Amino acid sequence: MTELTVNGSKRDLEASTIEDVVRLLGLEGRPVVAEVNGEVLTSGEWADTAVEPGMKIELVHFVGGG
Amino acid sequence: MSGQDRKSKEYGAGEAVKAFTENKRVRSGESASETASAGGGNAAAYAGDTWRIGGLELTSRFFLGTGLFPNPFVQTEAIRVSGAEVLTFAIRRVDLEAAEDDSILQHIEPGAFQFLPNTSGARTAEEAVRIARLARASGLSDWIKVEISADERTLLPDPIETLRATEILVEEGFTVLPYISDDPVICRRLEAAGAAAIMPGGAPIGTGLGILNPYHIGLIAEEAKVPVIVDAGLGTASDAALAMELGAAAVLMNTPVARAQDPVHMALAMKLAIEAGRLAYLSGRTPKKRYASASSGLESLIVE
Repeated sequence: MTELTVNGSKRDLEASTIEDVVRLLGLEGRPVVAEVNGEVLTSGEWADTAVEPGMKIELVHFVGGG
Repeated sequence: MSGQDRKSKEYGAGEAVKAFTENKRVRSGESASETASAGGGNAAAYAGDTWRIGGLELTSRFFLGTGLFPNPFVQTEAIRVSGAEVLTFAIRRVDLEAAEDDSILQHIEPGAFQFLPNTSGARTAEEAVRIARLARASGLSDWIKVEISADERTLLPDPIETLRATEILVEEGFTVLPYISDDPVICRRLEAAGAAAIMPGGAPIGTGLGILNPYHIGLIAEEAKVPVIVDAGLGTASDAALAMELGAAAVLMNTPVARAQDPVHMALAMKLAIEAGRLAYLSGRTPKKRYASASSGLESLIVE
């Protein structure tokens, strides 16, 4: 288990990469963008980005707006 | 600069008026896809009166926001009726507790629209740049509406932060469309910084107060060499028509459509108002006069 901060909340996840995080949170296949410790990742980088304890991860998407 | 010069400057007004009068309007469902350059499927197209942002040629002059609609079905129908080719979005955290996919994109036809994500929620240039990078990483668009609010009560754009964010994002290769106050001088500065279009507000976001300073909007439209898109504060169709009569290239609206009692028909009203205002602008209105001037003259009257 790794303790991470995802979208502002602490979570313990059995994840070794960002791809795992996205899958474990049930967001696989959805149009989600990830930012890790302030760095924006393309989805192609998820599988190569190793998760470390204390990482701050933001998962965002498009919502309605003007 | 004379009115005619102004019109001819960037739009090739003569050709556009000719196209209007030849009645080449594409009606709903009639081969709209042949003329709509960026999809939408129902763009009101007057051949020849197209315009550009960056490398994209546009036919519709209506940018539609996707917030506040009562439900996805009404939204989808309003988008269709509006003929909009550009849709705006916001970027927010995914709700990790929600079981359902609450992404707006599941309701939007893939590939049919140019997406214009905004940086709403940003209070500084740095926050706006961060949101813009997240938006671009979606792979869906490199356009960004810079929206940096100074406070929550007025949501008025912070001009200093907006200029800084525009400079950074232009440098990073974004197509930058800043939302800004109706101040002609800051609009000039944003254009000089490389903004692809300038988007002055008519009134504070969501107020529906209309164009509070037509003089400024007209001056901004007259001076700018990039398209001017009146964004925010409009309430009803006459506001949209006025924006276009003042020389705006387009109008961006969300609340006045989404919060109308009948959003679908209001979307149509706005589309028609934009087209009417555009045509009036191209046609050159009669000058205002202080006193009456009879249509038939006062000679050869039958009363002595």
